[in-house]
Amino acid sequence: MKVGLFIPCYINQLYPQVGKATLELLEKLKVDVAYPSGQTCCGQPMANSGYEYESVGACNNFVDNFKDFDYIVTPSGSCAYHVKKHYNIIPQTDEVTKVRNNVYELCDFILNILKVKDLGASFPFKVGVHKSCHGLRGLRLGSCSEVVGPRFSYIEELLQEVKGVELMPVKRSDECCGFGGTFAVTEEAISVKMGKDKIKDHLESGVEVMTATDTSCLMHLEGLVNRNQQPLKILHIAEILNSSL
Amino acid sequence: MSHPKLASIFNKDEKKVDWHDKALWFVRHKRDKSVHHVQGWEELRNLGHGIKAHMLSNLDIYLREFEANANKNGVEVHWAANAEEHNQIVHKILKDNNAKKVVKSKSMLTEECHLNPHLEADGIEVIDTDLGERIVQLAKEPPSHIVLPAIHKNKHEVDELFQEHLGTKPCDGDPQYLTGEARKHLRQKFIEADAAITGVNFAIAETGGFVVCTNEGNADMGAHLAPVHIACMGVEKIIPKQEHLGVFLRLLARSATGQPVTTYSSHFKKPSDGRKMHIVIVDNGRSEQLSRPDFRASLHCIRCGACMNTCPIYRRSGGHSYDATIPGPIGSILSPGKDLTKHSSLPFASTLCGSCSDVCPVKIDIHAQLYKWRQIITKETPQPFIKKKSMQVMGSIFAKPKQFEKVGKIARWSLRTLPKAVINSKPNAWGKARDLPTGPKESFDDWYKKREENKGKNN
Amino acid sequence: MSSRDKILSRIEANKPDALALPNIDLSLFDEGLDLVQEFTKKAEVVGANVIDMVSNDVVAKVENLFPDAKIKYSAIENTSAFNTIDLANIEKPQDLEDLDILILESELAVAENGSVWVTDKQLPMRVLPFITKHLVIVTSKDNIVPYMHQAYHKINAGNANDFGVFIAGPSKTADIEQSLVIGAHGALSLTLLLK
Repeated sequence: MKVGLFIPCYINQLYPQVGKATLELLEKLKVDVAYPSGQTCCGQPMANSGYEYESVGACNNFVDNFKDFDYIVTPSGSCAYHVKKHYNIIPQTDEVTKVRNNVYELCDFILNILKVKDLGASFPFKVGVHKSCHGLRGLRLGSCSEVVGPRFSYIEELLQEVKGVELMPVKRSDECCGFGGTFAVTEEAISVKMGKDKIKDHLESGVEVMTATDTSCLMHLEGLVNRNQQPLKILHIAEILNSSL
Repeated sequence: MSHPKLASIFNKDEKKVDWHDKALWFVRHKRDKSVHHVQGWEELRNLGHGIKAHMLSNLDIYLREFEANANKNGVEVHWAANAEEHNQIVHKILKDNNAKKVVKSKSMLTEECHLNPHLEADGIEVIDTDLGERIVQLAKEPPSHIVLPAIHKNKHEVDELFQEHLGTKPCDGDPQYLTGEARKHLRQKFIEADAAITGVNFAIAETGGFVVCTNEGNADMGAHLAPVHIACMGVEKIIPKQEHLGVFLRLLARSATGQPVTTYSSHFKKPSDGRKMHIVIVDNGRSEQLSRPDFRASLHCIRCGACMNTCPIYRRSGGHSYDATIPGPIGSILSPGKDLTKHSSLPFASTLCGSCSDVCPVKIDIHAQLYKWRQIITKETPQPFIKKKSMQVMGSIFAKPKQFEKVGKIARWSLRTLPKAVINSKPNAWGKARDLPTGPKESFDDWYKKREENKGKNN
Repeated sequence: MSSRDKILSRIEANKPDALALPNIDLSLFDEGLDLVQEFTKKAEVVGANVIDMVSNDVVAKVENLFPDAKIKYSAIENTSAFNTIDLANIEKPQDLEDLDILILESELAVAENGSVWVTDKQLPMRVLPFITKHLVIVTSKDNIVPYMHQAYHKINAGNANDFGVFIAGPSKTADIEQSLVIGAHGALSLTLLLK
């Protein structure tokens, strides 16, 4: 099994530690993983802003880089969802179909393809999970409160096995954080208010470290936490699963 | 004004935003508590979706069947191509019956057509009888929510409004007292009314009858007391058979408020002796929406308001920020079909979180349609030069790995080196309330390449 | 062309290819409800007062529950002694404005939502159950069906109604700050007598 690692553009440039943790984690799990160096971005920033046609080059570049892998794994539910859901704008060659079918968010890949739960990690903190929307309602990485059916959450299943983690229940576990790509800038007032409310919910629930499958949500929340100097640490799930504190 | 502008005005009063958000989250929570106890809820949603999709694919046939049956029942059926014609038809019926005083129960369609001002211009008194609608009518505002029209007003505002218009005593916003006074005031209006106007929740092709749902009983008080009953409906309110009500009445109230069913689900078919019943069937852009494969499912909507209650943006921006008859997520996919330029900011008033689609009782893919409207809006309406250009530049950077590497380097350097005051200065909306990340010296890409090189050396 | 023909032809031109009508599989919803228990529970949730009748004397029960009622009307059989008004003398429905109490019968009740079905057959005047201050509805436990699906099967099997209404609890509103207030425009209370 050959696995291609996709590191989203903003993680590559701004949060390389998330990429490192993801790679180390996959290597620890004895995955034959490679990072194709010609990769850039999945195309989502343009597409969600209404410029899908400007993202065609990014889509093609993505497929070129990843067409030879059995699986494509990425520490982002949102990017994986974008490839799966919105790569219908380029001709559906066998390569494109293969890429769309085989792209996985990290937790999903570990739990459902590798079928591993206990990663031997330890992280002695009170952790609050923010269930990023595209992973939750797009990829169905967990049940959401609107839908009637069995309750599950991949990210929490993995966290439960981490030594020392105390999972803190929050009041609105699957409400959006307000990032939303360019929404964060075009609808600044609402975006900030949503983020503030999300942080408040976690702080009031006794959370020390907030985590998620997506660094985009976390970048927005971290920006607020840092500006307001709030006592909340923000880490991507890969960093916790790769931790041995 | 655009949604972001109106939303930021609403957000100037953070306490009010918190209050509005909590009130609607509470309704969403009641909906959850109710639907999680219904065996087969998701199958029920599938049925709601399937029946509506079938209906739309046979709509002309079912409309004809409905009309024929309604005529047989002694009901007069009228057709209006647009809002203006709807208003003229209603006006004419009222004039023919010498009706000067009209009571109206909630109908989003008559709001959409701006019926009240049309009738009032001819000296006809139109009283909205749903309590929430009466409150906004007295305040001279449009409803801010389709099920809870006055959800943006707190009880003290209602208290003051009633003191001014109904002569009530100051009561510190006591909802019991205020509702009691509204009951007395509106009881008089019901007794005096010459005609009653209601909306239609469902019109049944098979019987020619229609169903109106209320909790207050205002539709029935109006319709059974006044000698003339006019029911106004959009073409998409048709359902094929009476038994389909079993599906939709199970979905509607639970999704709207968490109640297992509305207090009154009234099935009107024939007028009682000596009385008149009219139905006005309105298109007003619906047949055009039907022509758009990506957007026609928006016509499945049964107007429960659940997408508003669940929407994190709606809850924090208020219904009026949408500047449209139907606010919230469903309004944001309906309104662009009517006036793309006027409503061009609405499909962007969303993070595409998808909660609206998951809560929708008839499974409209609302967030997917928001995404699709965005693609159309950027092509068909004027866009800010800077947005268009930056998307183009970004598109070309991401298409070419070498360029991406260069730009990334510069960006990281800037974030690391430039003073915070510059980074967070005015043109950067991100930095108004949020810090940007510190740019690391090394990208993941750099680190990985180095690591691979070192591996090579070590081997 | 008339607006009617214009609308219909536009719809015919714009509609998608025909999609099949889904079948309603009732077994998906069946959870083996105890009908009386569920009906009572849900009727109370929607604000009704449910009374299990030990005797068949409806009038005595109602007199006992509403001792202060002055203007009274019952539309059920053999209860004319209860009535203080004669509908024959009521010229227009507006004259019923002062009605304190109304007794009706229902032949259909729904467990999942606590509602009861009332039609023209039981209603000498349609406005009665809405304009009365207090509403009492008598029904038999045998009339309870589990879900709305079964309710419509029963309605479709019976004689066609010119008007019918499902009533679930008393009139209510929460339009002022989401505070539930019983008694908006319709009846201030609903009492269900289960035989």
